[in-house]
Amino acid sequence: MTLASMYKTDYVQTCDQHCQTNLNSSWFNDKGAWMTNVIIVCLIKFFFGIVPGMSPELAWTMTTLTYNVGSYIMLHAVTGVPFEFTQGAYDGITLWEQIDGGVQFTATRKYLTTVPIVLFLLSTHYTHYAPFAFSINLVVTIINLIAKLPVMHQVRLFDINQKVESN
Amino acid sequence: MDNPILAAVNQTLQASSRAIEAIPGSDIVINYIKNSYQNDPFRVVLELGLAVFAVKYMLSKKYRIDPSHIKLTEKEIDELVAEWQPEPLVQPLSDIQRMELEKTQVIAGHQGPKPKMLSSGKNLLNLASTNFLGYINNEDIKEKAIETLRNYGVGSCGPPGFYGTLDVHINLEKDIARFLGTEKAIIYSQNFSTISSVIAAFSKRGDIIVADDGCNFAIQKGTQISRSNIKWFKHNDMADLERVLESIKKETATSKKRPLTRRFIVTEGLFQNFGDIAPLDKIMELKEKYKYRVILDESNSFGLLGKNGRGLTEVFNISPKRVDMIIGSMATALSGTGGFCAGSKEVVEHQRLSGQAFVFSAAMPAMLAVCASEAIKILETPEKGNKLLKDMNDNAAAFRNVVVSAPQAIEVSSDVGSPILHLRFPKNALSAAGITTRDEEKYLLQEIVDEVAVKDGLLITRAKYVESQEMFLPRPSIRISICATHARKDVEKAAQAIKASFVKAVSKRK
Repeated sequence: MTLASMYKTDYVQTCDQHCQTNLNSSWFNDKGAWMTNVIIVCLIKFFFGIVPGMSPELAWTMTTLTYNVGSYIMLHAVTGVPFEFTQGAYDGITLWEQIDGGVQFTATRKYLTTVPIVLFLLSTHYTHYAPFAFSINLVVTIINLIAKLPVMHQVRLFDINQKVESN
Repeated sequence: MDNPILAAVNQTLQASSRAIEAIPGSDIVINYIKNSYQNDPFRVVLELGLAVFAVKYMLSKKYRIDPSHIKLTEKEIDELVAEWQPEPLVQPLSDIQRMELEKTQVIAGHQGPKPKMLSSGKNLLNLASTNFLGYINNEDIKEKAIETLRNYGVGSCGPPGFYGTLDVHINLEKDIARFLGTEKAIIYSQNFSTISSVIAAFSKRGDIIVADDGCNFAIQKGTQISRSNIKWFKHNDMADLERVLESIKKETATSKKRPLTRRFIVTEGLFQNFGDIAPLDKIMELKEKYKYRVILDESNSFGLLGKNGRGLTEVFNISPKRVDMIIGSMATALSGTGGFCAGSKEVVEHQRLSGQAFVFSAAMPAMLAVCASEAIKILETPEKGNKLLKDMNDNAAAFRNVVVSAPQAIEVSSDVGSPILHLRFPKNALSAAGITTRDEEKYLLQEIVDEVAVKDGLLITRAKYVESQEMFLPRPSIRISICATHARKDVEKAAQAIKASFVKAVSKRK
C-alpha cells in the first residue's frame, strides 16, 4: 500500500478520533453527570409546577416534552466539538455517536436510553392516561429512542447534518 | 376430573397472592397497575412493549461498530505469542546504508567557507552548506552574537507562549515584516516544522490543497498531517494547475450542498529539489480567478532572490500583501535558525495558538535571533547587501556556465540565477553506461563526490531523501550551494573539476 493511499483509509480516521480523550463526550461517563441528569428533570418539573395556571397533567407533559426535545438537540442534532484538536476528525459526528468512541450498549448509553422511558411511564401515569397528552409524550419519546438505536449509528435522514464527502 | 386440578390451581394462586402481598411496597405497584389499566388494552400493550424494550436494551452486550477491530480467541493469541521471534534491536545495515555512513564527511572545528575535515585534516572548499551569503564567517555578526551571548545566556528556556519570548524575538519578527513588506511575521524555532505547522494551522479535514508535486518533504508532511484533500499538479506546469483548479470547481459545483471549504495553493519560491523558480505571476492570476489562498514557501529564496533579497515577490514585482502566507527560513540565507511566516495580522496572530511548532516547541536562543536580525540589517543596507547578492549571483552564473557546457554528462535542473544547483546524469548517458537502478546511480554520484574531495579539495554532497516516504521521489543528484564569499576563481575551478569528474564517470563505464 503506498503511503498516499494509506492516509485515506478508515484506519487513520479512527486513529485520529481516538488518539486523545474526547473531552466533549467523556464527561457523560461520570456518575455525577447521571445524577445531574435526574436533577435537571426534577428541576424542569418543579419550574413547570410553579407556573400559575398550569395543571399538574400539563406540567408533566411539558416536562417530558422539554426533556426529550432538549436532549435530542444536544445529543443528535449538534455535530462536532467546540474546540479544535484533531484537524476536524469529529466534524460530522453527533455527541451521541461520539460517546465512548462509537461502542454500542455501554453503561452511559443504557442509562441515557432508560431516562426517557422512565419519564414517559411516569408522565403517562400522572396525566391519568388522557389520550392527547399520551400521544404527545409517546411521539416525542419514540423519536428520541429511535435516534439512540445502534442501527441508526451515523445514519443521516432527509440530508440533515449530511457531511459532504470529497474524495 | 376437573375438581382437584381446579382446586390446586386456586390454592397456588391464593398462596402466590399472599406471598406478593407480603412483599413491602407491593401495594403501590398493585395500585399503579390497577390505575394504569383504565380500560385501554392497546395502551397497556404499548407500555409493556416499551418496558420489554428497555429490559432487552439493558441486557444487551456492548460491541464495537468499528470494523478494523479484530477479536482473537485465546488459542489464536497463544499461537501468535509462541511463534513470535524478536527482531534485532538494530537491523544490520544494507550496503548502500553502510556506504553512506562511511562516506559522510565530518568537519573538525567550525563551519565556514573552507572547513577542515576530520578524516584528512585538509581544508576543503565548502559547496555543500547553505551558507549562500557567507554570513557564517561574517565578523560583524560574530561580534554581535558574542555580545548577545554574554547578555542573554544560551537558551530561552521555554516555548514562546510560556515565558520563552524575548525582546530579540519580537525585534526579529518586526525586522522580517518590515524587510518583506507584510503586516506582521511570526517566527518558529525549526525550519522543517515551520511549513508543516502553517499548513496544518489553516487547512483542516475537508479543505482542499493544490500543491506542486516537486515540493520538498516538509511540505508533503504538512499536507499529510493537515488531513485535507490534496491534489497535485505537475511541477511548475501552469496549464496543469489550471486543469486541476477547473476540475475541482466542476466537482464542487455539482454537489448538492456546497460546503464552505478553504482552498489553498501550495508551492515553493525556489524549489529545494530542483533549483527552479515558480512562476508567481501566473499563480497569482489563477489564484484571483479561482479564489484560492496561496501559501508560498520561500525557504530557499528569501534573502537570495530579487534586487534586495526580498524573495520571489520582489523578482516578479508583486506586492507581498497579495500572497496570503509567505514562509521563509532564517537557517539558509540568514545564518540563524528556524523559519518564519509573514502575512496579515490575522494570519500571524492565529498561529500564536494554532501553530503547533510555535506552541509546543522551545523558542530559539537569543543569540541566533540576533544573528538573523543582523543579517537582515546587512541585507537592507544597499552597499553591503546588494554587493553580497551580486557576488552570489556572479558566482552562481560562473558555476552554471561551466557545467551547462557539458550537456552529454550533466543535466542541470536549476534556473539561471539560482544559488542551488542540482546536477544529475542525463538519462541517455545512464542507459549508455549500463546503469539501471537508483542505487547504482547513487554509487556513481558518490564516486564523483569522493573524487573531487580528494583530488580538487571540494566539499560537495548528494541530495539525500527519505525514500520510503517521499510522494514523488526526485532522481539522485549532487546539490551545489553557491556561497557569495568564495573567490570567483575558486568557484570556476571547482566547476571545471566537477564537470571533468562527471564526464569521466559517464564515459568510463562505456
